[in-house]
Amino acid sequence: MKFEDAIVKSIKAFLDGKMAEEFSQTTEGGELFYTPAYFDAYEKAIEEGDFDPVEEEMEDDAEDV
Amino acid sequence: MQKMFDAPIPGENFTSDVRNYPWHRPPEIVEYDDGVEYLMNKLQEQEQAEIAYSMLEVGFPITTVVSAMLMQGIAKGKFPIDLAILIAGPLARYIEIIAKTNDIKYKMGTEDENRQPITPTSLKMALGIYEDDEEETDVVEVVDSPDGAEGFMSPPIIASDEEQSSMLGQVEDDEMEML
Repeated sequence: MKFEDAIVKSIKAFLDGKMAEEFSQTTEGGELFYTPAYFDAYEKAIEEGDFDPVEEEMEDDAEDV
Repeated sequence: MQKMFDAPIPGENFTSDVRNYPWHRPPEIVEYDDGVEYLMNKLQEQEQAEIAYSMLEVGFPITTVVSAMLMQGIAKGKFPIDLAILIAGPLARYIEIIAKTNDIKYKMGTEDENRQPITPTSLKMALGIYEDDEEETDVVEVVDSPDGAEGFMSPPIIASDEEQSSMLGQVEDDEMEML
């Protein structure tokens, strides 16, 4: 399998809402942030105009402080 | 004879510097979320965004844009190949959302373009089913033109039996016999 084929396969699986099993356990917190559900919510928020990138950046800065 | 000795010495690989290329060194990003975030931020850079969305406008599928970006990251030693494959999906989805919101025409590139669609006709042909009704539908009715006009594609006019026999000279022979 070529690299490009692996990429296409990975994208297909993600668009179908699938992620590698037990993949989240490899992360420190045990939970993944950028899941298919996150992107669905992100798309919906952009369509409805609820998403404000400036606001999000400000929230991030506040957390850092 | 000379070629026989023109080969690497066993263990020669251990003498080379393995830090020559970025991908020989440990990657900078090893976490999934960090990798996705890095690429999403990268796409917000003016230059990178121009390249990516211009590629989509030209007609390249999202899969090609994603693999180009990932190859770039691997070459720079940002993330390992296996992580690149894992973060391909979120990156493609992110590009899709941005393309949708900015009315950029895009192809995902995950659909198989060589696939033949299954239709009733193709299925019948594959199963060897032939219907007799097809022969009946092939019969074409010849309609005479209302003005009797003879066009280039009109059917030929067939002469009557008398005309044909006269053309063959049969009438003349009969008349000759009578005389």
